[in-house]
This record gives sequence, C-alpha cells and structure tokens, in this order.
Amino acid sequence: MPATPLHIVIVGGGSAGWMCAAACAQVLHPQRYSLTLIESEEIGTVGVGEATLPALRDFNELLKMDEAQFLRETHGTFKLGIEFRDWDWPGEHYVHPFGSFGQLWGGVEFQHHWMRARQLGLQPAPLEEYSVAVRACRRNAFDFPDFKKPRSTFYGYAYHFDAGLYAAFLRRWATARGVKRIEGQVVEVGLDANSGNVSKLTLKSGQKIAGDFFVDCSGFRSLLLGEKLGSTWEDWTQWLPCDRAWAVPCERSVDFTPYTRSIARKGGWIWRIPLQHRTGNGHVFSTRFVSEDEARATLLAQLDAPALMEPKLLKFRAGRRLQAWKKNCVGIGLASGFLEPLESTSLFLIQKGIQDMLRLLPTPEAPQPDERLADEFNRSSDSLYERIRDFLILHYVANRRFGEPLWDHVRTYPLPESLRHKLDLFAARGHVPYYKDGFFSRDSWLAVLFGQGLMPRTYDRLADFIPTEELSAKLRELHAEVAAHVDDMPSHADVIARYGEAPMKRAATT
Amino acid sequence: MSAVQHLAIVGRDAPLWLAACVMQSALGPSGLRVTAVELPAGVDAADGHAALPALEALHARLRIDEGRLLAATRGAFTLGKQFQDATGQAAPFFHAYGSTGARIDHLEFLPQWIRARRFGMPVAYEDFCLTAAAARHGRMLVPDPEIEKHGFTDYGYHLPAIPYGAWLKQLATRRGVTAHEACQVDVRLDARTGDIAGLLLDGGRQVDGDFFIDASGHEALLSTVIGAARESWRESFPASRLLTAYAPQIPSLPVYADVRAGESGWLALYPNQACTLVEYAFSSETPDDVALEQARHLSRMELQGARVRSREPARRVAWTRNCVAIGEAACVFDAIHGVDLQAVQLGLVHLLPLFPVSADFAVERAEYNQNVQSAFERIRDFQTAHYALNRYGGAFWARGRLSPVRADLLRKIGVFRARGEVVHYEDETFSIADWQSLLLGHGVLPDSWDPAVDRSAPEVVQGEFKRILAFIRQKIEWQRSHAEYVQLLCTPSLLARGERAPRNQTQ
Repeated sequence: MPATPLHIVIVGGGSAGWMCAAACAQVLHPQRYSLTLIESEEIGTVGVGEATLPALRDFNELLKMDEAQFLRETHGTFKLGIEFRDWDWPGEHYVHPFGSFGQLWGGVEFQHHWMRARQLGLQPAPLEEYSVAVRACRRNAFDFPDFKKPRSTFYGYAYHFDAGLYAAFLRRWATARGVKRIEGQVVEVGLDANSGNVSKLTLKSGQKIAGDFFVDCSGFRSLLLGEKLGSTWEDWTQWLPCDRAWAVPCERSVDFTPYTRSIARKGGWIWRIPLQHRTGNGHVFSTRFVSEDEARATLLAQLDAPALMEPKLLKFRAGRRLQAWKKNCVGIGLASGFLEPLESTSLFLIQKGIQDMLRLLPTPEAPQPDERLADEFNRSSDSLYERIRDFLILHYVANRRFGEPLWDHVRTYPLPESLRHKLDLFAARGHVPYYKDGFFSRDSWLAVLFGQGLMPRTYDRLADFIPTEELSAKLRELHAEVAAHVDDMPSHADVIARYGEAPMKRAATT
Repeated sequence: MSAVQHLAIVGRDAPLWLAACVMQSALGPSGLRVTAVELPAGVDAADGHAALPALEALHARLRIDEGRLLAATRGAFTLGKQFQDATGQAAPFFHAYGSTGARIDHLEFLPQWIRARRFGMPVAYEDFCLTAAAARHGRMLVPDPEIEKHGFTDYGYHLPAIPYGAWLKQLATRRGVTAHEACQVDVRLDARTGDIAGLLLDGGRQVDGDFFIDASGHEALLSTVIGAARESWRESFPASRLLTAYAPQIPSLPVYADVRAGESGWLALYPNQACTLVEYAFSSETPDDVALEQARHLSRMELQGARVRSREPARRVAWTRNCVAIGEAACVFDAIHGVDLQAVQLGLVHLLPLFPVSADFAVERAEYNQNVQSAFERIRDFQTAHYALNRYGGAFWARGRLSPVRADLLRKIGVFRARGEVVHYEDETFSIADWQSLLLGHGVLPDSWDPAVDRSAPEVVQGEFKRILAFIRQKIEWQRSHAEYVQLLCTPSLLARGERAPRNQTQ
C-alpha cells in the first residue's frame, strides 16, 4: 500500500541545491519521494574557489563518491588547515590545523603540560611544532592520515575545490539518479489559503509546479523562506561587520599550499584558496571602514600570479533567519543565514542542514510538516550558527592592530556573553570548554586562542603529576615523533599529480 | 594569595570518602593537602548504592581493584533495571546498560525496528538487547571481540553503603588524606569576605583550610551557613518518603535491579552478595506503618531493619564562595534510577579541571555551576519522564503523571513520539540508548521513522533481525552465571589456579 510519493521541490541550483538534491536522491526511497530541482541559467551562483571542513568527506562518502574522481572533476586539492596572517599583529601568523596539538597525558590536555613546561623554564618548542598538520603545512606537504600511527600524530583533512564544478558534478550525479531538473525562474510563490504552506511555484515561462515540501536554496534572496513566508532575519553585523567581498581567480602559483590562507587587511581580510588549475582569491571587507574601490585595489595588489578575470563584487550581511524551517519549507545555505567564510563553514552549514532535514522530513503517509520536527531542526540549526559565530568573532576580538578603525572597533565592542566567558576561562587557566555537538572542537579553539597571541595566566594543577625531568623527556620525545612523521610526507603538489589531477590542467600547460 | 593549599572536606559515608580519594589522588601531586572531617554515619545496614556504569570509570581512575572491592563490600554487578507493574496496567520493560540491536545497512537499529513493527513484526525492542537478555538469564556479560563489534555493553554495581564507605575511607587515608572524626562542626566565617575561614570541631579542635567541600548530605552543613541558594524540586516528584530495609539474599544472585510499581509507590530490590537491599518510595499521604506493609507485600520477602526517611528533592547552587557542595548537599534527587553516587561523581569530575589555581576563581565558579546545574537538570528530566509518562494504576502514579514537564523534556518526548529520534543535549548522564529504553518502556511508540531506512529491503532487515537474535542466544550460552562470576572475581586463589580471568580484574 504505497502512498503517493511526497514531492520535494528544491528551488535553486548551486552547491546548496545540488548537494541537497544529490543527498535526497541517495538517501530517500524513489517510490516514496519524488525530487524536482528548479534552477535558472540566468541567475549566477556565488560559486568561487571553495574551502571546506573535514566533514565534507562524510558527505562525499554518503554519496559513495570516488575521491580521486571527485578531485579530478572539481580540480580539487587537499587542505590541512587555515593559515592566518597578520591577524593578531602585522607580521604574525599561525595555522588553525585539522588536528590536535600533542596528546593527553594522564587525562590532562596537552596545553597544560606545555604551559607548565614554559613556567618551569624547560623551554618547550612552540606549540605548533607539536602538531603534525601544522608542520606539514609549513612544508607544503601532504599525506593521508594513517590511523595505525600514534595518537599524538592525529590529523584530518578537507579539500579546496571549484564550487561551480562541484555543483555541476553533483547535478550530473543527481539527475542520473532520478532528480528532475527544470530550467526556469520562479516568479511567483503560491500559498495554500488554509495552512499557509507553500503549495505551488509559477515560473517565468508560465509553468506551474506543485509540491508537498520545498527546499529554499535560492541564496541571499531567500525567495520562499524569507520573501514569502517572512521568516525573521536576525542581524549579526554588530559583531561581524563585513558586508562585501571582491572575488577573483589568478593563475596557479609555485606556492601550492595544502591550506587556505587568510590575510588580515585594513578593512577586512583576503582569502587565498589553491586549486589545481588556478588560485581563488577574495577580499571580504566592511564598507563602514573601506571603500569598494580601495578594497578592490588591495585585493589585486595581493595576488601572487596574474588575475584571470575582472574581480566580481558580492554583497551580504552576517546573520540568520530565526526559523530556518517554517511551514513546509526549509532554507538550506544562504537562504537561511550567512557567516563570512573565515573558517570555511559555508558548505558545512549546507551539509548539516541537509542531514538534519533528511532525518526530520515529513513522510508520504503524513505529508503535513510536523511542528515538533521543524522545531528540532531549528534548535539544531540555532546552536550550530551561534557556536560558529562565537568562533568567528574570536578571530577579530583578539587583535593588536591598534589604530586601524575596523580592528579597533572589533577589539572593543561588547561580546556575546557566551564568548566573553570562554575568553575569561582561557585567560585564567588555559581551560577550553568542550561541547558535544557542533563546531568547533577544543583543538580548534586552542589553535586560534594561542594563535591570536593570548597566553593564559597559568595552567591546570592537574598537570603537576608528571615529575619535571620526565616532562622534559616526554616533550622531547613527542617533538621528535611529530617531526619524523612529517619528514616522511610527500609534497602536496606530488600527491595531487599522482592521485587526482584533472587532465585539463596538463593540456593547459603544454 | 596563591593557589589553594589546604582543602577541607566535611561529610560522611561514601560521598565524603569518594571526594577525599578523588581530590587527593588528582591534586596531591600538585601540593594540595586534603583533610577529611567525618561526621557520624548517616547510613545503616539497609542502605546501599545502585551505582550507574560511570562509577567503574571513576574507580579505574582511582586504580581501584574491582575484585578486591567486591570481596570487601560484598557488592555485586548489575546490568540494568527491570521495571514491573504490580498494579497490572502496563507491560514490564528492561532498562539495560547496553545497546540494542545492531546497525542494518549502516543505519541505526531503532528506526529499522519501528518500521518493521509497523509492518507487523512482533518481536519486542528489548528482545534485541544482548545485555538485557544476559541479565534475564542470570548471566554476567563479559565482552569478547564479537560482542564489542556488535554493540556496547556496560555494568553498574550494587554496593552496600557501610562497607563501601569504609573501604573508601581506608583508601583515602592510605593515599595521604588526614582524617578527623567529629560529632559537632562549627563553621567559622571570614568577617570581611564572608568566605569560610575554618572549622571548629568538638573538643576544641580546629581545622583551617582555604577551600572546602561539603559532602554532608541533605543537611548541607557548610552550604547552609554560607547561604547557598536552594530551589525545591518537590513539585516534580510524587514520592516524599523513602523506606529502606534488607531482605535475605536471592539465591541465584540476579544481575539487575528489580523495580516494582505498586498503587501507592514503587519498590526496588538491589541484590548483592550479602543480602537484598530494599527501597520503597511513597508519598507522605501513606502512613509509614502502612508503607511497610505495602513494601512487604510488593517484595514478597521478609524485611528487616526497616527505616523511613523523608526525602525532599531540591537543588542548591553547588559552588558558593569558597565551598563546593557535592552529592546530596548539592542536589537531592528522587530515589528512582539510583543516581545519588552519580551526583557525587559529577560534582567531583566537573570540579577537577576547574579547581582553583589562584585566589580569584569567580570564572571557574560560574562555569562549574552552569555545567553542574545543566547535568543535574538532565537527570531530573530522565526521572521526571519516568513519572510523567507512567501508565501504572493508583493515586501515586496519577499524581506522577501531573509532574511538570519542562520545555527541554517536552521537546525530547515530542520528537521521539513523532520520529523516534532522541534529542540528546549537552551534559546528559543517560545515553541515547537509556532514553530509548525509558521512552519505549513507557509506551511512547514513534509515529514515524528516519526515512533513510525505507531503502533497506525487508528481506535483508528480516534476515538481520534473525541473525541478531541468534547471536544473542549463542553469546549468552557462553557466559558464566553472575554468582559464579562474582565468586571467581572475589577469590584470587581460584584465579591463580588458572581459571579464565574475568575482565577488569586489575587496573
């Protein structure tokens, strides 16, 4: 007795739309759910060089995607972390790695042992030298993690890739698995008079598309969720004042890093994302502190290879919709909120939204959206957004770029209480809070807290159980272990060339 | 002033000595001096601890030898709790300390089961639980690699309170804790700051200290003096009286707690090597002598050493000024689910990474109070759900159904009913598996399931169900009976003669 399939309509292509379509096609039963995606060639997507988090590998695995093929298709490269330059102070730099610093000894976190060693005058190496991922970044090296190696050398990895190619790849993948693609522009959103649910969409061509459940992947415009259903926007520009970005690709340079680079500038920051065939660059800035023209010039001056086209201007603001799921509509990606890509969270937010949506979707037997499940989606989304927001703010507040209006502003504004408290705890004793759900991990907090130049007043006394001489020896041993691990790694460029290089790149260079 | 040098702990029984052991072991190497001031015992031969699985991890951290501990205390293992209804309204259920089923097609077991059940599959959820099956058959469950691959299994203890406290006291003093016994403790406050400056014991003895732990139980000796804010949880629970007693040992030594709902309260039997400890929780509307009769009737055993105490569920702000309340001094829970030692443990485990490193610890205190409050409220939610969702007969349970359900719990029940998903918050003591047992046990059957499992072919799912049931039958046959296992563990000479060594014999 199969009920009529539940019709899911996804509005908008791009990474959000096609990731959503692909995941739905993979996970849902084709006789219980039918899938339609509407996209318009007229509307460009934001797709630029995209940097990701290790969680994206879970997404690709869900689709049973072949990693080498994925890298070839998207001109992807590997990513072990993000290097932040000039954030604390011009000339300073640090890496936020996808991996740990050192290891737990006696159940006590490594930073306490390291700080204790400093206080005892044992002169330990800089913290980053106890991280495999950071040391690999310093050498432009990459290798796949080997879980048989000691725990101290643990790290994860993510990718850089061309988001437009990724969306195109997923489009082929999803349409081959039954997702119906309709070319067209939505001009009208029809609501059911009784329930207030979205009932049908009218395209520019006059075609009407009815559906049971709608996924808004229309980007900043938030055509269904924001414009039609009026899900309230909560503005976060008081903490994250950047509202524009110039984006421009340039030719691939010799500096083929296995990491994203983020360089602080007068009015914001510049990203640098190495792909196989080119490097993606962009300048995120705040028009309160720098003009569009000046920002454009700053970006172009920063390129380490010739630009491949004119810079494109993107406009946005930080914040999110209070109900990412309202009525029978879920917003995925920019339609539900925006956080600047400082920590490469854009695709992660999309992925998490899709996963939550999939487990909470209405069923063909009960196609009306369940209030309880929508609330759960929104609770999960709220906590994720807020935690990432706090982590992003952290990069700004802990700066010593005195005399630059943007940086003075972000250093001195009142913080969310949740973040203030975390900073106080760290300052008092190097304590980093832990939470079960959501990003970022304790290691990430540590990397940025120390990286931004904060140093706790003291360490946790629980670390005192190791006798001084033993501590000294353990640190030396660990340092050597990490170094040896990284010494064996091949260069990032070699791994890509061997493993997943796109054929077109060779064609282009010959 | 520099970091805390001298910690004084005032209290009694297991909470006092557990605190002393933990603080001395963890912070002794950092130069912390620990003094324990022991008040007259509050427990008697009818008292015990139905410890949750987490206690084993704490014991391991203290390098406690499980065999010696059980030999000395005559305690026993427990694989979970069976909830039965003597009022005849609801089906029994088993809350096991282990997972149920196994993944099918890489997907969670519960949604597969919900879906299969909707299509007429008759086997109960808990029949797919290896831990519950072992318990029902009187077997201890010792994981082998196959079992570990299949799922997780854990165990708690039933520990008689007097010998457990005595054992911990011995351990604490051996590890270097200074112990004083006192009938009377007066708290001396620093007139300027309002902090505790020292303790005055009977006979004019003085204990100074720059930091204090209150482990004095529900009277909260120190916390009351410094005015720690208290919040009553009376409204959440129908029971306000607790009868304790002991009964003869059950010969087969069951490896689980038996909880029986009666019209006017519930009765729990906690088997151990020495006897069967009995608890009966009821409301003050029932006179104590009537309650004793009810307890006899429900237990169908001869009860000795019966004693009735009032029990007022309430939470205090745990860390106030320079004093941290742990256990019942911080939070008196309802007696269901036996969470008292867990409360002590949570208080200590949260304190360790926030123990003052300087004279200014306001930020640590704020963090601690927030975390501990959250952890306590999650436990209260679990207990509340047991009452709010019950389908038992009688006035006591009708009152239980009126327990106020707070927003977080309401969401949890709602989402489970709608989809079979457990919303698992931060700071939960009880795992997703625990919540599944509780909610399904009380008849919250999900309306739908994770749509991902629709792709699993019914014949594959059926085949896996059969395989899991067969696996459970096969694994149980290999297990020793609980009685035999305990005897082996507690008798080193048997081990020395080459008997197969049970797990966890020495850490």
